[in-house]
Amino acid sequence: MLRYSTALAMMLALPAAAEDFSFAVTTDPQTMDPHAVNSAPVLGFLNNVYEGLVRRGKDMSIEPSLAVSWEPIGEGSGWRFHLREGVKFQDGADFNADDVIFSYQRASSEEADTSSWFAPVSEVVKVDDYTVDIMTTAPNPIFPDSIANWMMMDSGWAEANGAARPDKEQGNFATLNANGTGAFQLVSREPDLKTVLEPYDGWWDTAEHNLTRVEMTPIQNSATALAALLSGDVDFIDPVPIQDVARLKQNPDVQVIQGIEARVIMLGFDQKEGAAESGQGGADMFLDARAREAVAHAINVPAILQTIMRGNAEVASQLVSPAMRGFSKSNAAPYSYDVDAARSLAQEAGLTDQTISFKCPNDRYLNDEAVCQAVTAMLAQAGMTVSLDTMPVSNYWPELRANNFDMYLLGWSPGTLDAEHPIRFLAATPNAEARLGSWNFGGYSNARVDELLPKIQSEIDDTARQSMLDEVAGTLQDEVAYVPLYVQPLVWGARAGIELTQRPDNFFILRWVTVN
Amino acid sequence: MLSFILKRVGQSILVLLITGLVAFSMFTFVGDPIDNMLGQERTMEDVERLREQLGLDQPFVVQYYRFLEQAVQGNFGVSYRQGRPVAEILLERAPATLELAAVSGVLAIAFGIALGVFTAIRRNGIAANVIMSASLIGVSLPTFLIGILLIYLFSVELGWLPSFGRGETVDLGGWTTGFLTVSGLKALILPSITLGLYQMTLIMRLVRSEMLEVLRQDYVRFAKARGLSDRVINFRHALKNTMVPVITVIGLQLGSIIAFAIITETVFQWPGVGLLFINAIQFVDIPVMAAYLMLISVMFVGINLLVDILYAFIDPRLRVAA
Repeated sequence: MLRYSTALAMMLALPAAAEDFSFAVTTDPQTMDPHAVNSAPVLGFLNNVYEGLVRRGKDMSIEPSLAVSWEPIGEGSGWRFHLREGVKFQDGADFNADDVIFSYQRASSEEADTSSWFAPVSEVVKVDDYTVDIMTTAPNPIFPDSIANWMMMDSGWAEANGAARPDKEQGNFATLNANGTGAFQLVSREPDLKTVLEPYDGWWDTAEHNLTRVEMTPIQNSATALAALLSGDVDFIDPVPIQDVARLKQNPDVQVIQGIEARVIMLGFDQKEGAAESGQGGADMFLDARAREAVAHAINVPAILQTIMRGNAEVASQLVSPAMRGFSKSNAAPYSYDVDAARSLAQEAGLTDQTISFKCPNDRYLNDEAVCQAVTAMLAQAGMTVSLDTMPVSNYWPELRANNFDMYLLGWSPGTLDAEHPIRFLAATPNAEARLGSWNFGGYSNARVDELLPKIQSEIDDTARQSMLDEVAGTLQDEVAYVPLYVQPLVWGARAGIELTQRPDNFFILRWVTVN
Repeated sequence: MLSFILKRVGQSILVLLITGLVAFSMFTFVGDPIDNMLGQERTMEDVERLREQLGLDQPFVVQYYRFLEQAVQGNFGVSYRQGRPVAEILLERAPATLELAAVSGVLAIAFGIALGVFTAIRRNGIAANVIMSASLIGVSLPTFLIGILLIYLFSVELGWLPSFGRGETVDLGGWTTGFLTVSGLKALILPSITLGLYQMTLIMRLVRSEMLEVLRQDYVRFAKARGLSDRVINFRHALKNTMVPVITVIGLQLGSIIAFAIITETVFQWPGVGLLFINAIQFVDIPVMAAYLMLISVMFVGINLLVDILYAFIDPRLRVAA
């Protein structure tokens, strides 16, 4: 403890109070504009500064935030939100329905990266100063769930500072400044170097945390981040490299917080017809469902988790993890590991006399390259020849878009934390106009799934909705649309004596942090 | 003389242009920035729209031409990652790298020369042999390993020095300096040792061998015969004659200290231009990469141009040859 405070004092050059909290992240948020970039580092960080109409609690459930209550309008033509009165933005302006309308216009504008959240919305109507109707084109039961990251910005502040629309290419005032209603306010922002927050005195909710100043520093090198935690220069790091977890647990000065992320890691397959499209030889090899099933049975996922993930992850059975809404309990059994079955299926499908071109990122998911190498070896044991090609993620997506693969690795974290999300992006037949299947690189297509998707999206009754989700999950499993491997682990490291809450969306929420 | 200088300047500009062309042809292999700029819920249309907007759908030669066109007007574009002008970001980051390079350079020169002279004078002593053997570590261990070892020892185990960053800095009209605060100075120690170690051993070994050479010369023997003290012989006569080649090497090494600070900056999360460049590569932030590479090549070409011109002043034969 003595070493800890001296180190911190050295860093800050002033006497360290216990409530000064500093933490390291791998990726610096690109912007402070909550509508400019739809990425986890940005939204996760800004959740401490800005707030939405609803927010997610410690267990990911939706709870009131800037709206005190909401109810469906009529037979599902929209949702009515009753706003919280007396809320003030950090610059002192009042929060009311006009800010909701403005934030809708801003976040759904073409310049915004968040516009897809509002695809189901037809219009937003101000009923009075503290009531807003959000009308949807079709009944939308999960709409309140889907807007937990839609953050409210003050219309006056944005307009006065020339930031009425986000600008992610050139940047504007809102790129470096923030004015939310949240528990913390932005004190200083030096991109890539240091971002400082302080508690907002006028916050409407009661503070659970005891922090007086929060400093966020990006540290890209994981060894440096670990050293910073061990030496007490920072109080929290995310993530802790998997291979250091066991060693860190031995250290009484630090704690390791482990959980399961919302992200499912899976294998995808080229299922588009036509050999000419594919960059490499044996195209069409995975058009046959038996070929995909052969891969599913050939992979010993528990062994991968035991060795590469050091026992820190869980086997996945479908495109979402059990913690997500709409997880199909009737399809919770993963594919069995059966090399003999895999071998004979591969032979039947004619997979054994072709070389599978397997593409894999090497800097996107935890230990992704090692997992792909293990998969390659396991498929070889079942008689399949795999040519593995790993690359940085910035080369990876273009490669997938160019269709240069037979098989690929993908991780998917559902933004809405609902089973409908991966169906929309990964299982629906690709259709640019309808914004469907935009990450369905393999071109999986099933008419029944396409037919069920809009019904799932608009079904108000939970039981009926779940039975449709069950059907889709069952179909995807039977047809081996994807081979889900495991749910990616979350590993955070913190100094001993710090209490915090880890959520499966990997957002680090500061208002739940206490330093003892 | 003027035609010589003009010729050299012309050659330098040509080298710069070719470097830029090679750099731009490489950017295609670094990857595609679009996916990093758009979120999970983007559509293929968004991808195409943004690509067109950024001019990434054009061949690299066209992209290069556009970059040059803007660059000669002093506009290096806007960073894809930060959404801020690249020139602003580079100016913000330059002090960190320059201060680190300056401290490392001073450490390398001071300790390099001192230890080089020491090991040359006491070439059979135990201390000199220990230093010579230890210097092999500086030459052979990779920078990042030395950095990690130093962090482990002085930050994690002993807790004396910060493990990363620059500490508190003071802003002097756009130039942020770490020299004026205790934490800033402490933060400088480990990275500058890491960065300067290789140059230090290089200078030390060079000084030692030059010095040994000089000490064998006749005039040193005559000086001894004249009864001059060892101190006067070693430092007034021998060292002076040792310094000519050493200064040339030091000059050339200064550029590489700045250019190769990248690894040290990554290990220590030192907020300089090297770290900026590494982050830019990961994100495929083409405007930042282009500006950084051009800056570094301007620096190297500039140093070489200066050296060429200085040589020509010193040695008239070069002027005739040109």
